[in-house]
Amino acid sequence: MRIRGVWRPCYFLTFWLSQRCRIPRLTPWGYTICAMKLALALALLAPLYAQDVETKLVIAGDVAHPLTLSKEELAKMPRTSVTVKGEDDTETTYEGVLLYDILKQAGAPLDKQLMGKALASYVLAEARDGYQVVYTLTELDPSFTSNKIIVADTVNGKPLFPYQGPLRLVVPGEKKGARSLRMLEKITVVRLRK
Amino acid sequence: MALRNLLFCLVVAANAQTPYQWDLPAGFPKPRVPADNPMTAAKVELGRYLFYDRRMSADGKQACASCHIQNLAFTDGKARSEGSTGELHPRGSMSLVNVVYTPTFTWMEQGLHSLEEQARIPMFGEHPVELGVDDRFLDVVRADPKYLKLFGADPITMDNIIKAIACFERSIVSARTPYDRYHFDRDDTAISAAAKHGEILFFSTGFSCFRCHSGANFTGKPEEVGGYKAPTLRNIAVTAPYMHDGSVKTLEEAVTHHGTMTGQERADIVEFLHTLTDEALLHDPRLANPYE
Repeated sequence: MRIRGVWRPCYFLTFWLSQRCRIPRLTPWGYTICAMKLALALALLAPLYAQDVETKLVIAGDVAHPLTLSKEELAKMPRTSVTVKGEDDTETTYEGVLLYDILKQAGAPLDKQLMGKALASYVLAEARDGYQVVYTLTELDPSFTSNKIIVADTVNGKPLFPYQGPLRLVVPGEKKGARSLRMLEKITVVRLRK
Repeated sequence: MALRNLLFCLVVAANAQTPYQWDLPAGFPKPRVPADNPMTAAKVELGRYLFYDRRMSADGKQACASCHIQNLAFTDGKARSEGSTGELHPRGSMSLVNVVYTPTFTWMEQGLHSLEEQARIPMFGEHPVELGVDDRFLDVVRADPKYLKLFGADPITMDNIIKAIACFERSIVSARTPYDRYHFDRDDTAISAAAKHGEILFFSTGFSCFRCHSGANFTGKPEEVGGYKAPTLRNIAVTAPYMHDGSVKTLEEAVTHHGTMTGQERADIVEFLHTLTDEALLHDPRLANPYE
């Protein structure tokens, strides 16, 4: 039987692999299906395998202007750097954009709007590996706090490591790093009372 | 011979004056040295002679180095270590690499927070007997001209012997592995793409290896009384067998022991762990047996 059309490269790929890796002999369609399974597995694992992940931050939820920020857009925003102390007082400097500025741009209730019902809101940050962390708006609004939570894209002047980035949150002044979420992908504002 | 002795004296004298050089990459944690036992090159060198001195055990057959072998990252390659009297230790020998950063010693929480306290257990402990050191070793040291020179003006006491051994152990620092070149020197070519993927998995919430094996030394404190410590992963590729009782033979099995994963994921995590092997340290002449 001859495998035709788009399936033909799939067939050749796995047939070639089978010759090299001593996969048991399959029928021509067997090789083709095997190739499709391989491709599916690769597609599912790809998010964690990707080392050059596109820099992209999605702001969604109860905001006036949901938006997606690219690397270039983040680079144009006002930049802030924070230095955090780690193990044995080693210092690490991260640079990026205030989470406040990003949420302000998306139209989250901040400054004078951060009162009354808006105080019952939270910010959910989500990472590429499924990790999630919650903040309140008051923790990042300069009218409430002087703590500077940033969305960082550099560490000590270099791009973040693949296991950290391309974007991460940095929460200075906390005793644990657990809320400084790495591999940041999405931020959702949730208003409990509208 | 006279010339050799003269040179030896000169080296000892020079060491006594030199402040200790750590040679760490920028951003690497600062070593924690107790105020009552500052590091000096002279004490480190004295400690090396003591660490490798087989006359230390009561029967003259074992030294610290018997269970802490340099090319095995200062472990002994055995599931459970054997003392000088043949008594089997309930647990395996722990690596001494980067102990200068260790806040809590031994496999379990026993309230041991300094190397000087910890060293007394293998030296004088009776449950089990490890080295079984007694005062006869003091006589051996006091009668040895080499030690008279190495001690210099310091009195030859058991306390000073222990302090010198602790100084030598603190000098066993690994900060120049491929991982360190990648992480601290930002040399992106220092580790492979597979290792970088292994690092992502290591630090992903799904595997969460980093929750217990954390910091620059990939280690953690014992979680509770009766719980075992997450030992350092530095040089883990050369410290088989694994776990506190050596019950796991290979690094691949040790990784699998911690959770379910695909073969590819395991291979990448293992590849990442291999980047923590410090080949230079395993063969560093400054840490080697001075009697050979």
